Amino acid sequence: MITTNSLTKNFKSYKKEPGLRGSIKNIFKREYITKPAVEGFDLNIKKGEIVALLGPNGAGKTTLMKMFTGIIVPSSGQVQVMGHEPYKRNKEFRKKIALVMGQKSQLWWDIPAMDSLLLLQKYYEIPKDDFDQKIKKMAALLNVEELLHIHVRKLSLGERMKMELMASLIHSPDVIFLDEPTIGLDLIAQESIRSFIREYHKNNDTTIIITSHYMADVQALCERIVLIIDGKKGYDGTLKSFENILGSEKVVTFVYDTKQDPTDAIWQGLDAKWDNNHQQVDLRLPEKKLREITSQILIQSPVIDFHTEKLPIERVMKVLMENPKILHK
Amino acid sequence: MKHYWEIYKKFVSTSISEATSFRLSFFLVAIMDIIFYLTTLFSVNFIFDHVQNIGPWDKNQLLFFISFMLAIDHLHMTTISESFWRFSDHIRTGSLDFLLLRPVHAIFSVFFSRFRAATVFNGIVAWGFLIYYGNQVNLPFLSWLLLPFMVLIGMNLLLVIEIILSTAMFWIVEGAGINFLRMQIQQLSRWPDFIFSKYTRRVLTLVIPISLVGTAPVQFLLDFKNYQYLLFLILFSFILWAFLLIWWNYAIQKYESASS
Repeated sequence: MITTNSLTKNFKSYKKEPGLRGSIKNIFKREYITKPAVEGFDLNIKKGEIVALLGPNGAGKTTLMKMFTGIIVPSSGQVQVMGHEPYKRNKEFRKKIALVMGQKSQLWWDIPAMDSLLLLQKYYEIPKDDFDQKIKKMAALLNVEELLHIHVRKLSLGERMKMELMASLIHSPDVIFLDEPTIGLDLIAQESIRSFIREYHKNNDTTIIITSHYMADVQALCERIVLIIDGKKGYDGTLKSFENILGSEKVVTFVYDTKQDPTDAIWQGLDAKWDNNHQQVDLRLPEKKLREITSQILIQSPVIDFHTEKLPIERVMKVLMENPKILHK
Repeated sequence: MKHYWEIYKKFVSTSISEATSFRLSFFLVAIMDIIFYLTTLFSVNFIFDHVQNIGPWDKNQLLFFISFMLAIDHLHMTTISESFWRFSDHIRTGSLDFLLLRPVHAIFSVFFSRFRAATVFNGIVAWGFLIYYGNQVNLPFLSWLLLPFMVLIGMNLLLVIEIILSTAMFWIVEGAGINFLRMQIQQLSRWPDFIFSKYTRRVLTLVIPISLVGTAPVQFLLDFKNYQYLLFLILFSFILWAFLLIWWNYAIQKYESASS
């Protein structure tokens, strides 16, 4: 479905000294820098997969998305999406893909979303009955039936993002590229978008490539993760294996309402990390011993609350972003 | 072609929907445009209070020309001018990305998507004066039939020259310079070619054929013997469209989008 081979994109920019002197100097002489945004990238994505492209800001995720959709042309290497070379911008190819960008809008700002959707109906030559049916179905799933006739500028960010999703999916694309679709949204809106994407994927077997800084998106939607660091592929595998990159231990947190003694015998031999008040402790426990040790602590100390780590992927991401060299060990 | 026409109709209705969202601004723009057209005509009229002829043309002939250019300008303002101003924003903000994804030629999505509804009323002024001065110069019957077509082919040449210039925004990014250059080029087209010196006229006919936009069709409409410039105009239109398609495809390969 999507294959890349040594895909590279370089961007050219220039340095500018600050101030008036720098500005004047800049008119006559510029020092150009060529920087690879994506470098030697190999990837193979099968039909129906949901893949997360993860990485810190500036890692090259959006650049990859733009090369997949044909918006920008690779500097070198090959990319094929459904047998098309995207940058050739074949009309049939453009009918089969969709792009949602959390930070950019494709809707006309000063008119109701429905007007923009009707324009898209013409672009993609969608028969009226089919169009009406899709709008009805998607609007119901996203709970936005009442908002279709409200001016886009009057919608909240979450509501607008739902309209953006509808606008992108109205032509039933085979591949959907979602670039930070939940950015800036509140928790309810995030969850609503996630469940819509999950449902849409289940019903249509669409291939979805998603970038997000919210690990909850990744956890809820993706089985496969591709990590990009400095434009290069750092990891490509399952979510489960990714979570275990730093080891298969589970992190368990115990909370107390009174100060505890960290030197107590029950903490001996455990890698305990206490907070400043000694009222909360994080333990990294081997999966096999999780049940036994947790039971002992619950019995032997006045625990008022405890939980295992909800998003181990978040911790792994944080560690890898701080120290990407771990991946090469 | 039907696909494009269906989309264009939707561009028009969507633009009208957008323009009428701001009712006061909509009527203000409409009134301002009408005032602009009337002042253009009255200032030329004023000149003829002091002279009998400008070049080989008398007052009616020149005002027929000015009205013809206003009809082109009206079509230009209504169908395309707003898109030129938005183009550099599309490049700077990266909103061009979505236009490039649409399954139609990008030139169409970029330059024809904004219809300026408030300018429609201006058509009454431009075409009213064009018909009036057409009568004053005793336009032959065939010229009346050809008149709308001549407006279209004149506008077509102006359009292709402007899109060629605007395509340079893929490199320049900031649009002010190109847009002001475009406006100066429009200004040059608004006067008959005989007001320019011999060499300037040659440049504006054969190098940047902007003076053909109005001069060629009007000279032909006034006297069918003056068909040479019209042939030039048609020839240049074909050459420039062919060049534009190559130039645009090259430029679009250089588009880097904006970071998100």
